[in-house]
Amino acid sequence: MSENRKKTIDVALNRVEGDLELRIEHEDGVVTNAWSKGIMYRGFENMLKGRGALDGLVLTPRVCGICGTAHLLTAAKALDMISGAQLPVNALLVRNLAMMAEHIQSDLRHGILMFMQDCHNPAYASLPLYGEAVRRYQAFKGRSVIGAIGMTKKILEIVAILGGQWPNSSFIVPGGVASVPTFNDIVNCTYIINLFTTWYEEQILGCPLERWQQVRSEQDLQAWLDESDAHRDGDLGFFIRFARLVGLDRLGRGHGNFVSFGQLELPQGSAVRGRTADPLLLAAGFIGQGQAPAGCDQELVTEHVAYSHFVDYPGGLHPSEGLTQPYVSPYEIIKYSFCKAPRYNGRPAETGPLAQMLTSGHPLFADMIAAGGPNAYVRELARLTRPAELLPAMKTWAGEIDPEAPFYHSVREIPDGHGYGLIDASRGALGHWVEISRQKIAHYQIITPTAWNGSPRDHDGVRGPWEEALIGTPIADPDNPVEIGHVIRSFDACQVCSVHLLTNNAPATGRSRCVRV
Amino acid sequence: MNPNLYWLQCGGCSGDTMSMLSADSPNIAEATNTVGLDVLFHPSFSALTPARHLRLLDDLTGGALPLDILCVEGTVITGPNGTGMFETCAGRPKKDLIAQLAARAGLIVAVGTCAAFGGVTRACDVGGVGLQFAGKEAGGFLGADFVSREGSPVINLPGCPVHPQVLIGTLSALATGKRLKLNERNAPLEYYNMLVHQGCTRNEYHEYQIEETDFGQMGCLFFHMGCHGPLAHGPCNKFLWNNRSCKTRSGIPCFGCTEPDFPQDTPFFETPNIVGLPINLPDGVDRPHYLAYKGMAAAAAPERLKHRQPKV
Repeated sequence: MSENRKKTIDVALNRVEGDLELRIEHEDGVVTNAWSKGIMYRGFENMLKGRGALDGLVLTPRVCGICGTAHLLTAAKALDMISGAQLPVNALLVRNLAMMAEHIQSDLRHGILMFMQDCHNPAYASLPLYGEAVRRYQAFKGRSVIGAIGMTKKILEIVAILGGQWPNSSFIVPGGVASVPTFNDIVNCTYIINLFTTWYEEQILGCPLERWQQVRSEQDLQAWLDESDAHRDGDLGFFIRFARLVGLDRLGRGHGNFVSFGQLELPQGSAVRGRTADPLLLAAGFIGQGQAPAGCDQELVTEHVAYSHFVDYPGGLHPSEGLTQPYVSPYEIIKYSFCKAPRYNGRPAETGPLAQMLTSGHPLFADMIAAGGPNAYVRELARLTRPAELLPAMKTWAGEIDPEAPFYHSVREIPDGHGYGLIDASRGALGHWVEISRQKIAHYQIITPTAWNGSPRDHDGVRGPWEEALIGTPIADPDNPVEIGHVIRSFDACQVCSVHLLTNNAPATGRSRCVRV
Repeated sequence: MNPNLYWLQCGGCSGDTMSMLSADSPNIAEATNTVGLDVLFHPSFSALTPARHLRLLDDLTGGALPLDILCVEGTVITGPNGTGMFETCAGRPKKDLIAQLAARAGLIVAVGTCAAFGGVTRACDVGGVGLQFAGKEAGGFLGADFVSREGSPVINLPGCPVHPQVLIGTLSALATGKRLKLNERNAPLEYYNMLVHQGCTRNEYHEYQIEETDFGQMGCLFFHMGCHGPLAHGPCNKFLWNNRSCKTRSGIPCFGCTEPDFPQDTPFFETPNIVGLPINLPDGVDRPHYLAYKGMAAAAAPERLKHRQPKV
């Protein structure tokens, strides 16, 4: 064997939200090891300390431009808990609607603008679907791209109607919402939901929502695909055809552990029901590899820093006691990421739409995971079809808002205390752990979905979810490792920018060559 | 030949990119296609192969391909201790790449408050600065005297996030060779000579000093709820957000996110005041006359407003 058999590359990945670099070790064209590096530290949690009790409502949406409403809601829920607020039904309805509009926006922007762009990667230029992929997904020009730009901004008008603007509003407050939508506002939301649903049915699904909801197994999925040209020609049908052509189902397996904090509280008296007994539309849960879904207990969440650029502590700490003391050194050889390593009951877990569909009992995804385990295909399938889970409930909930009833129960002062907010943001489990003392923030820790998915190794040296998912990935061309892009983007990585690809040389010896995928 | 554009993201949240995607009439696809902008690279949308992107960066920083417009989104992170190692790119500080591209660019646009003034990331302990300002202080990363190849300072488009109309409008002007007049903070007068307050549907409450003391009361938010509308410069109530509304119209105070001192040190949702009167009065207002006017206005307040009959 040649001495060049084992190679390391640094991959710079764009079309993710945030800063990301991967170091990949591959042998005979197959990934044998991977390190995921969060390469930006902003120090948000420390900045919040000592600020006003409500300041998290303004500042934490600025953690992430694509899921700011999720941070706002999580921050408000922590303060709801500390202040013992009882929320009016209207407030739950408004919060849910805004949250769902943001999810749908995120799912389709990621799916159509970011993930599907890879379908016309030059590596696929000789494939039969290439020409169609260019016509659909070329940046700023493709037919599906233009449709998705137009309609994702349309659905976000709901957040602006209910809360003033998107991104970065602060309309969710402890005790409810600050806005007081009128009858006309609600009617406009309903029209937008209907308009969006029609587009989603025609452009993405190629069928009515009701037809898609009958797909409950992999066998049903095949029957659905075979049923009509419209099903095959929608973006979902194209995705399935493309995924099978290039074998996305053989990429990105990972640990097979899933965590979801659940979301969308069912307001009292609502006609909307979830699939489980959980008082949430989409239930929380943890699923260990091959096990049945179990409940999710935030007490079991810890964060490790052994391989992260923070001052060491042994093992993991619960976020309510979490420490964030950055530490970088030019001589560092162990620590490689500004991301901490969150663990559930000591185990790494992936999070996102797929985890959420599994913990909330969606039969199609339970069937697919039982048959073949997680992979890039099923992850993206869950994302592209999640709007079909949300739109019917949105329509019902918009109709249940009573503009004459209250939207807010007064919480004039936040008392001293600890609290947390847990939801599933667009990319998965999001938690804020907050301590308030004398009207000020005494402690604030945030665990984002991408901290779960893009976690570095933990105290025991166990890889994070997408590090693990990369193992075994074939790389046909190290200058254009499109397969790595598929795996990482199937997690909807929220770290803008880069995975850097360093060829031929071992990390310690070589000057790296930076390549973007 | 169409002018080209390179979009660089650094210490931020990509909220400005997300705001841009919500632009309407024209939306971002229409704008780039009709104004004729050649977007060389945008981190969220481009499908360049790794090798081609690497060549592009070499061509731009080496000068082989002249760069017309550089858009920078996010704060320049210089910490810890000036090393820039809190944000790296292939093991090197990201700030070095910013400097290399800035030295070559014809025009530079600071997209959002972080790139313009440092913004939220400046408040964190990471040495965050704007391109030519650090908060209110001129200088920032490139220095107060910096001009780009075409002789212009960095064009600041503050806002957290930038209003999409401001971004698309400015890029349209630059792409067609028009130069916008800038204010003393290098932001286009076209968009930043007005206050957020102007056009707010709650103006009549402000006129008669009918003020909210708690959320959802449908009054003016300036006296007690921490609204910066009469202090902050921007078109939020002229163009609205997402074609629909804006925070102040929906009962959420303006946080002054276009201003160089955003985020302010004082708690949000509270107005710093002396005996119930705001310490910071509306931009340029004379204090004694304002106080006299407010006293008389409150006495003249009509019942229909006191009882919130307009429901706006």
